[in-house]
Amino acid sequence: MIGLSEILGGVMLAYLIACFLFLVAILWASPRLKSLAAGLLGGALAAHTLAFFARWAASYQQAAAVTPPADLGATLQLILHQAPLSNFYESLVFFSWCLAALTLIFLSRYTESFLGVVGGLLASLLLAYASLGVDSRIKPLMPALKSNWLLVHVITAFLGYAAFGLAFGAALLYLATGSTKQAANPTRPLLDRLIYRAAVIGFLFLTVGILTGAVWAETAWGRYWSWDPKETASLITWFIYAALLHARLVQGWQGRPIAWLAVAGFIAVLFTYLGVGFLLPGLHSYLS
Amino acid sequence: MTRASSSTSPLGRLWKTLTSLRLTLALLIILAVVSLVGTIRPQVFDTPWFLAPLGLLALNLIACLIRGLPQAVHRVRQPLTPAAALTLPERACFPWPATPDPHQQAEAALRRQLGRVQKEVVGEQTVYFRERGRFRPLGPYVVHLALLVILAGALVGKFLGVEGQLTLAEGETARDFTVGGTEKPLDFTARLDRFQVLYYPDGTPREFRSDLTFTRPGQAPQQAVCRVNEPVGFGDYTFYQASYGNIVRLEVRQGENSRIVEAPVGQTVRVPGGQGRVRVLEYQPDLVMPGKDKEIHLGPAARLVYWEEDGRPRMVMVLENRPEMADKQPGPYRFYLKGSKSFAVLQVKRDPGVWWVYAGFLLLLPGFYLAFLRPAERWALVLRPQEKGTWEVRLLGAAPRAKEAFQDRLERLHELLMKKGGAA
Repeated sequence: MIGLSEILGGVMLAYLIACFLFLVAILWASPRLKSLAAGLLGGALAAHTLAFFARWAASYQQAAAVTPPADLGATLQLILHQAPLSNFYESLVFFSWCLAALTLIFLSRYTESFLGVVGGLLASLLLAYASLGVDSRIKPLMPALKSNWLLVHVITAFLGYAAFGLAFGAALLYLATGSTKQAANPTRPLLDRLIYRAAVIGFLFLTVGILTGAVWAETAWGRYWSWDPKETASLITWFIYAALLHARLVQGWQGRPIAWLAVAGFIAVLFTYLGVGFLLPGLHSYLS
Repeated sequence: MTRASSSTSPLGRLWKTLTSLRLTLALLIILAVVSLVGTIRPQVFDTPWFLAPLGLLALNLIACLIRGLPQAVHRVRQPLTPAAALTLPERACFPWPATPDPHQQAEAALRRQLGRVQKEVVGEQTVYFRERGRFRPLGPYVVHLALLVILAGALVGKFLGVEGQLTLAEGETARDFTVGGTEKPLDFTARLDRFQVLYYPDGTPREFRSDLTFTRPGQAPQQAVCRVNEPVGFGDYTFYQASYGNIVRLEVRQGENSRIVEAPVGQTVRVPGGQGRVRVLEYQPDLVMPGKDKEIHLGPAARLVYWEEDGRPRMVMVLENRPEMADKQPGPYRFYLKGSKSFAVLQVKRDPGVWWVYAGFLLLLPGFYLAFLRPAERWALVLRPQEKGTWEVRLLGAAPRAKEAFQDRLERLHELLMKKGGAA
């Protein structure tokens, strides 16, 4: 039988190939290659989704073997708690899933291949990172994570991160195409709109992620906000994207300044996700 | 205040600054930079470096609310009328034959693309019109109001709330708790009946659990279980499982003298009747050694350091089930392990501002919905009779903030009408 890590390895490869196909589709202006790439991305996402639920099932079975749930309510509770979103490895896999899913959604709206290049590359990089040297064992849940808020908090936060990732990719492309002095490049206004769209979606999800995190912190630690480094970093991210949205919506800024803000925002996202976890102690490593 | 006076007087200039978006952007960037410092030094959030820009941002939000909200309310209270609909920019115009009847076809097409539409006859023309996202202008103000409510809740919590700790040993009853180093009385008593750590098979903690009994004078005692993520409320206060530790019972013998010391793990305590001090560095409820065929359970074990009168430190390992090992201990004292009990650290809190904060959270959601997900769109379809029973169809509309979505819908609507009988 094939293990989950082999499936995810295949998914990683498929995302990477899809990314290349999208790139070639741009260079050759080939709509057939583009739909092939989109199909590959969709198929890989389906396999990724299956792997996610398979790990969820395995995680549930492992927990149920230790503490068998007494009734239906307890079973549902345990299923919710055992969602595979409780450690660094699982968060990387889910982050990658969010990126691939958002890329497909955006592709159905704006049929631009560069979206697939950016989304496929980022999604496969995250999976590659997950498969290299990150502990992938299913571990029992520590007491602080046993909460119904875990699921909605992590899902919204990572959907936000993924949308910011797309905005970041679009912003890099925008800044790169600007330096080649192609003033009449037709994709630039589209990139500009995409940065804004993705930033709006990311901002909504990040806000809901912060709110659910605050409600959770109130029940777990008795404080909805305690200036834990992760909370602070997420607030910095929030400030940057709030600035971006106001600059764009009210002041009418476009183009380069918005693209730079999207880059700065994503650096803040990476700091929130990785920097804080690796460099600074805090309540997000509570009682461990 | 009129516009002319607002830009000349000093007060007017202040007002203009307070309501400017430039101030908002500057404050957001400043707050982001100060917060970056705060990730390493969280104390900064209690200093004017953070509180001043945050206060200014609140003022900025209030000023923008005062300036913009009446306009937004005014706009929302003016629904689209047929007369206003007729002045919308024209997006398409095409003829329609005498049959099929355009009224039914147009209404069906509009309903499919836009939902229910209103209809009105103006002179010889029939106007169908529809307004989506009418409440969009309120969105940003609802969001800003929600943020102010959250900030107000934080202030209420800071000034009217109480936050402290309660450290309770098993079997101990408390009448007060500690707030910033001083004792604050409770109007009831809290007793820790038992504290437990439950483990998974791999040895990592599964549950931290405090069994508590609360008693109000003259009332029946109430029992409650406090776990991480499951706080317990009693009276005005909420109790949260925050931390725990062990208190080790040591018998200290010096010649014929024997004394009992209760030492919380990690704390230095004086040995009674002498100048020596002792600190338990580590306590294991059951020390397990890997054996040849099976593991050997040595029972409770503690590692401790003690300082003699002259300050010389000595390290000692004690096993409860091997008291004879004490004979080999160095120095004048002999230490014997005589059991242990747990203590729990509970976070004790009363915060009347939490409900404000939660109300703000709830208010944010409809605010975001209106601001980002309901762009304002205005549509009208006008039928005007031409000669020989034919018709002229005109599509009018505008959506200044959602041009792409508007264009898409316009194309679909146009296509649909063409299919149903419109002529190019």
